[in-house]
Amino acid sequence: MGIKIVPRYGKSFKDKLYLPAIFAGMKTTMSHFAKNLSDTSNIKTECYPEMKPQDITQRYRGVHRLTHRDDGSVRCVACFMCATACPADCIFIEGKERRDGIDEKMPAVFKIDLLECVFCGGCVEACPCDAIRMDTGIFSFVAKRRKDFVLDKEQLLAHKSFEGEK
Amino acid sequence: MATITVDGKEIYANDNALLIEELLANGINIPHFCYHPSLGKDGNCRMCMVEIEGKKRPQIACDTPVKDGMIIRTKGENIARVKRQILELELINHPVDCPICDQAGECSLQNYYMDVGLYDSRLDTAKNKKRKHVDLGANVMLDQDRCVLCTRCVRFTKNITKTHELGVVVRNDHSYISTFPGTKLSNPYAMNVIDLCPVGALTSKDFRFHQRVWFLKPEVAICDGCSRGCSLLVDHNKEKYKDDVVYRYRPKFNKNVNGYFICDYGRLSYKKENENRLLNAYIRGMESEFEYAILKIERLLKRYGPKTLFLVSPTLSLEEIYRVRTLAHKLDAAINGFDDNFDEDFKDDMLRQSDKTPNRKTLKFLAINDSKEDLLRDLKGKEFVLLIGRDDIQIIKEMGYDGSIGVMNYRDFKEKEKIDIVIPIVSHTSRQGTFINCDNYMQFSSCEIQKNIQALKVLEFVETILNDGRVTCEDVWEGGLEDEEFLGDIKFTQIKSNSMKIGR
Repeated sequence: MGIKIVPRYGKSFKDKLYLPAIFAGMKTTMSHFAKNLSDTSNIKTECYPEMKPQDITQRYRGVHRLTHRDDGSVRCVACFMCATACPADCIFIEGKERRDGIDEKMPAVFKIDLLECVFCGGCVEACPCDAIRMDTGIFSFVAKRRKDFVLDKEQLLAHKSFEGEK
Repeated sequence: MATITVDGKEIYANDNALLIEELLANGINIPHFCYHPSLGKDGNCRMCMVEIEGKKRPQIACDTPVKDGMIIRTKGENIARVKRQILELELINHPVDCPICDQAGECSLQNYYMDVGLYDSRLDTAKNKKRKHVDLGANVMLDQDRCVLCTRCVRFTKNITKTHELGVVVRNDHSYISTFPGTKLSNPYAMNVIDLCPVGALTSKDFRFHQRVWFLKPEVAICDGCSRGCSLLVDHNKEKYKDDVVYRYRPKFNKNVNGYFICDYGRLSYKKENENRLLNAYIRGMESEFEYAILKIERLLKRYGPKTLFLVSPTLSLEEIYRVRTLAHKLDAAINGFDDNFDEDFKDDMLRQSDKTPNRKTLKFLAINDSKEDLLRDLKGKEFVLLIGRDDIQIIKEMGYDGSIGVMNYRDFKEKEKIDIVIPIVSHTSRQGTFINCDNYMQFSSCEIQKNIQALKVLEFVETILNDGRVTCEDVWEGGLEDEEFLGDIKFTQIKSNSMKIGR
């Protein structure tokens, strides 16, 4: 393996004084300050949380949601494909018999631990029924207790797509 | 012997044996639905097609006798095309509901289709719908849509149990499996049809939707339901943040003991591994520290010495009983193995035995008394009785014993306040051990599931008192068990991988 010798700067008298470097830095800061002050409409900074981001795209992976069938019931059949694909092992499912004649199986418990989730989107890719999606656009989730970060089936079903569709 | 050439490789086969038997025995993958070694050929599924040189068309391997000099091809585009066509026909009315099917992951149809399937459906007509939830009885659920009509289940009830409950009704693609009107599947071996079914048509009501099969870890064990000691596969899994749970037992093929099957009683006996477990040590009914209880029992053994009786259970393994006997001899105490767990109604002429303990033969071989008269005699003058692997204190109470009692068992029980000391031990599938069945076949149960329950292993308990460092089964065999006369020249390394018959 080759060795790269990195030159050391800062040995000269000018470097040791520090003041020229400080003034050079201040010059850059002040020029930006003057430019932004003269034209405030071009500032890239967003005033979050008063302003919400407008650049969330369709492919953005936000907090998960469980989708519904046309009749409004849960689409998931508890096949465990998402739990199998999950690299963080953060999806907890328990299946049960579905007795309403629409399907045979449905989840009794469906939990996602957001603190363990790495938001890779593997569950969405794995789902054979399009029952789980990450298109809610929710990028910020706050809670006071650890267990509040574990979303259950009802919470996941209540999430809506950020584009407003079902 | 005949020499046949399969895919350019020569193999030796028995003359006139079925070709599929010889191919499977040589580890060659032949897709098949209707053929099963215990049920023989039927020739209805056409899945086991092979090319035989000199024959115009592909032939089914399950109904072709082996002839010397046969040249066979099991691979290649030609045979793959034939298989693809057969699978396409099988799937015309199949619902392809793998996500909700319990068989997914161990389904022959799924596996074969992954190998040679036609991935784009050419079908534009509606599928035939049949009934999807049919409770056949005996914990068996039938999904008529998924059935490939291989008739393995029908032949099982016809040839093996001879109860004739199942049949195929209605013709052509409306055919389905059914019981006769007004009857149910009801025989003590009925749940074997679930293992026999190559697809998800017959599933277990008991296992239904509890776990996907690819999460399960199978381990080899011995059934402790009766003295037959059937070979088992124990399917267990430890889910995240939960304890290890045994989800089901399946039969493991053992030609000397149980063949391909087990009875439903044994199959459902996995529940005792999960439920009603003894979780704490108790001293006169009060919860106690685990370590303190062990020290206490050691003190009791020291205090009573020769006035102790070890009442061992025939459910313990050979190693455990042997070590307890060593301990008893050292303390000059008595040891007895009386247990009246017999049920004549349980016995049948297939597998089930009236003796419902798995290891009573060991008591005989180790010359431990196991009759009621012996127990009455052994109890005389005793002041401490330690029950190991059992909690049936009424046996000694009925004999008029009223001294101290210690119990070591895995199962929870009532009236612990009457007992001086209770210590939980690990259950059957949580420790290794050797068992000798009713026909003197000795088998090693290697399943050792680590449960998150504070429980003692009998071998470890005996070691803490004898203090000779022999904790595992291997240590026990090397530390004297191998020299026992009844074992002949059987060594631990042999018994670990094979079942062996004691005596010739």
